[in-house]
Amino acid sequence: MSEKEFEPVIVGFFCNWCTSAAADLAGTSRLHYPASIRPIRVMCSSTVDPVYLIRALQEGADATILGGCHPGDCHYISGNYKARRRVVIAKTVLKSLGFDDDRVLLEWISGSEGPKFARVMTEYTEYIKKKGPSDFKYVDSLGGE
Amino acid sequence: MLILWEVNKLYNDVLKDFLKKAFENGLIEAVIAPAATDNSYTYALITKKEDVEKLTPIAPVMQWNGADMIRRITRLKPAKRKTLAILRPCEARTYKELIKFNQINPENFYILTYDCPGTIHARNYVYEQTPVEELIESMKKGEISDKVRESCRVCEYPTPIKGVGDIGFGIVNTDKPVFFSLTDRGKDFLVKMEIQEGERDDSAWVEMHRKNREKWLEEERITGGRKGIEKFLAQCMNCHNCKDMCPICFCKECFFEDHSVFDYESEKFYNWADDKDGIRLPTDKTLFHVGRLIHMGTSCVGCGLCQQACPVDIPLYRLFGIVGNDLQKVFDYKPGVNDDLPPIMEFREEEFEEFVGLNGGED
Repeated sequence: MSEKEFEPVIVGFFCNWCTSAAADLAGTSRLHYPASIRPIRVMCSSTVDPVYLIRALQEGADATILGGCHPGDCHYISGNYKARRRVVIAKTVLKSLGFDDDRVLLEWISGSEGPKFARVMTEYTEYIKKKGPSDFKYVDSLGGE
Repeated sequence: MLILWEVNKLYNDVLKDFLKKAFENGLIEAVIAPAATDNSYTYALITKKEDVEKLTPIAPVMQWNGADMIRRITRLKPAKRKTLAILRPCEARTYKELIKFNQINPENFYILTYDCPGTIHARNYVYEQTPVEELIESMKKGEISDKVRESCRVCEYPTPIKGVGDIGFGIVNTDKPVFFSLTDRGKDFLVKMEIQEGERDDSAWVEMHRKNREKWLEEERITGGRKGIEKFLAQCMNCHNCKDMCPICFCKECFFEDHSVFDYESEKFYNWADDKDGIRLPTDKTLFHVGRLIHMGTSCVGCGLCQQACPVDIPLYRLFGIVGNDLQKVFDYKPGVNDDLPPIMEFREEEFEEFVGLNGGED
């Protein structure tokens, strides 16, 4: 790392109906949240195969967030319950392999919770900043071990 | 009353007589069981009583998972003929698991499963043909032969379980082999065969494996995060054999094969190489294994065929078995031993709150 302060890269997968709407609301309410979040809008939190989360972590992200509707509020009735199970699987696999599973975050943020969105993003960025860069990123040096 | 057992009779012959008798009684019209080939064993489907002689019901090698064969047969339509399949305990659990996934139609199928002495690595068998009798002999002495595969040594359920399969065939800890029923269908079958159900105590044999397993789970764990897994998979040549052999990986279209997710424009590769001081090709090798863990780890039955299929001898079962074990613990699920649905097939409204949010979903 250079002397510059560590700026984490956080990839966010936000569901179209709730968390993305909350991101919009945070924006139109002029709430500040860190620029380290790279949002990707998906139709539902359950469309995110955990493989995408792992791939983001492998290819350079320091952390990932999956944002969905609150339980019971899913636009597709049960998508967020499925997403929760998938995140449990992803976290368990990462933990099992000896990796910090806090770098995958699942958060329920509804469309009206603009302030919560800004708060969660700020808190999580601070949290990851404290943790430092992820060691799940490319460690492969071409010279071999 | 049918006497199947005599002194010094081979267990395979006992089973063959059983099959012939079942054909005569009209209880079955077909059999799926292993049959010898040159230096190995594969599964065979027979439909005539005369062909029973060609079979080796208990084979020293497991080249394929038998449940996978049944899946192929019943993929489009259920079997019309009454079929008895002779499966190892791990295959019987796979059978049960695949029924839950709607991949096997169990109609007209009877499953016979037995006290498993373990299997030899298919490649080792090519160079040194160990007869199955030798494995059974060391099993009767209460030792796991050191020729059997790693996954067999640490098997969690090396004997038939109630409710998994229909008929059990007991070898361990008994002078003469016994048949016993695992389901009501199996009971009917044995009654019609005029076979008295017997009993035998398999706890010592199971306990031995469980002890091995505990030790194995502790010692062989892959640690060290990304570095650890990269080192573990260093020789992997991305052939995807492990996926092809895995009975749980039944998807016709695999996420990792010919999937547009992994088609990138050429400029991307160059940019990655810029950013990372060079990248390895093909890309996403580790992702394939970690992704497969995510997709099938909760249902890993522990047959160990991934490890047997690996052309560069990566002990893959240590990855799938141990991480799979962790996953199954979280969901409190044992694949193929009871009627619970696999974790990825169901959900509850209130569960796993501790996995939501940074500090366990405080708001």
